[in-house]
Amino acid sequence: MSAVAGAPPIAPGVGGTPPAEKHGMSTKRKIGLSVFGVWFGGIVLFVILFGVTAHKAPDVASSAFSPVDEFRLDTWFKAGPVAFNKGVLYLLLTTGITLGVMFYIARRLQQRPGRLQVAVEMFYDLARRMSRENLDQRMERKYFPLIATIFVFILVSNLIGYIPLPVNSGSTFKVFGAHIPSLQIYAADTNVAFPLILALSVFVLFTYEGVKHHGPIGYVKSLMPGGVKGPIVGLIFPIEILSNFLRLISLTVRLWANLLAGHLLIAFMGGELGVLVGLQLVSWVLLPFGVAIFIFEAVLIAGLQAFIFAILTAIYIGGAVESH
Amino acid sequence: MLSAAHIPIGSKGSFLISTNVGIMIWTIVVFVISMFILRRAVFPRIGEALDNRAKKIEGDIDAAAELRKEADKVLDEYRERLKEARAQSDEIVQRARQAAETHEREAKEQGREMIAEASERAQRDIESATKRALDDLRREVADLTIMATEKVTRKTLDDADQRRLVEEALGELDFSGLSSGAPNN
Repeated sequence: MSAVAGAPPIAPGVGGTPPAEKHGMSTKRKIGLSVFGVWFGGIVLFVILFGVTAHKAPDVASSAFSPVDEFRLDTWFKAGPVAFNKGVLYLLLTTGITLGVMFYIARRLQQRPGRLQVAVEMFYDLARRMSRENLDQRMERKYFPLIATIFVFILVSNLIGYIPLPVNSGSTFKVFGAHIPSLQIYAADTNVAFPLILALSVFVLFTYEGVKHHGPIGYVKSLMPGGVKGPIVGLIFPIEILSNFLRLISLTVRLWANLLAGHLLIAFMGGELGVLVGLQLVSWVLLPFGVAIFIFEAVLIAGLQAFIFAILTAIYIGGAVESH
Repeated sequence: MLSAAHIPIGSKGSFLISTNVGIMIWTIVVFVISMFILRRAVFPRIGEALDNRAKKIEGDIDAAAELRKEADKVLDEYRERLKEARAQSDEIVQRARQAAETHEREAKEQGREMIAEASERAQRDIESATKRALDDLRREVADLTIMATEKVTRKTLDDADQRRLVEEALGELDFSGLSSGAPNN
């Protein structure tokens, strides 16, 4: 038996030497450096393997390929006059998930809520607060379901828009002989029709409420800011009328452009820019930015845009019945 | 290279801004259906649950405040009682001390009286014993005197003579030393 094996064990920190202090990098730092190393190594590898000369794919060179084609709504099949495409699929998914989650939570409401229930309750509370703060009690009772549904519907639509699904029917791959659409991140609200019809509905509703409350002439008069008198009325009035109609456009474009731009940015940064310029190195270099934008969009923009649409709905409806 | 790249977006992207009526119809239909279902079956439940929880929390807070008030009241009562108990105990101790002092004083007084009484009784006993002894001595002296006189005179003395002789003999004897020294014996 060796001397070391026979020696009594020394309890750490008891009579022996104090425990050694931790030196070196933290785990997070190690992971960060490793990721950076892989990324940087990848750049070097790409330069070695492919060089820095652009080699465009034939479809790109002939302009047959366009990144926005992914957002084209190709009809998959028709049932009578009803056409099905990925926009419809995403709308049905949005409806299914919205109703499924809300039903699931509503039937299992606990006194001590779980995480999902807390999230749903937070959403509900937020929608209720934005309704109460902008509408009187009668209007709040009437329009809370609309505002809350707009909020949750757009939120779910936005969120599922960041899950890659095999919906890119313009580009397929074969699995056991079957043509499977490529994976793509798509959202129903990247098509302008989705936010436009919602904005149009909101516009019609707040105009209806305004006319109902003030009368047609009164409503038009109510669009003028209080205290404006004299010749300046002739200048302000057309602007106010225009701005009222611009609400429809701003409501539509804000949601649509944010989502479309976000998805395009993710696609470009996630590799498409490299394909377009014919340089794989660009795809690899931009990949971290693509991931960062993806996280930013999914965590912040999805919720923020839903919230903005819902609160503007409440503000517009509340403002239409407000007396100056 | 990058600068020479032509990115084909604008030429083909016009469909992005053209409105798809089918999607508009689909959107409004599924949205209205969703709103109808949520309004009928989901929102009231969640609202009710949140209101109930808010009421419960409000009730719990009120109950806690009430309980606190009650606890404060009980604590005040307890403190008051403690104060009273302390005052009572102080009074009891005070009274006990006074009683003890009185008892001590009385006991001392009683002891003193008992000692005085005992001393007086002893004095009386001594005096009585001295008197008894003196009487015995007188009687003895008288008997001896009579006996001696009868022996000397060879005659029997009558009562008058006996009394006279005794009176004379006793008159000559001095018992003052005996009576004064008696307590010392």
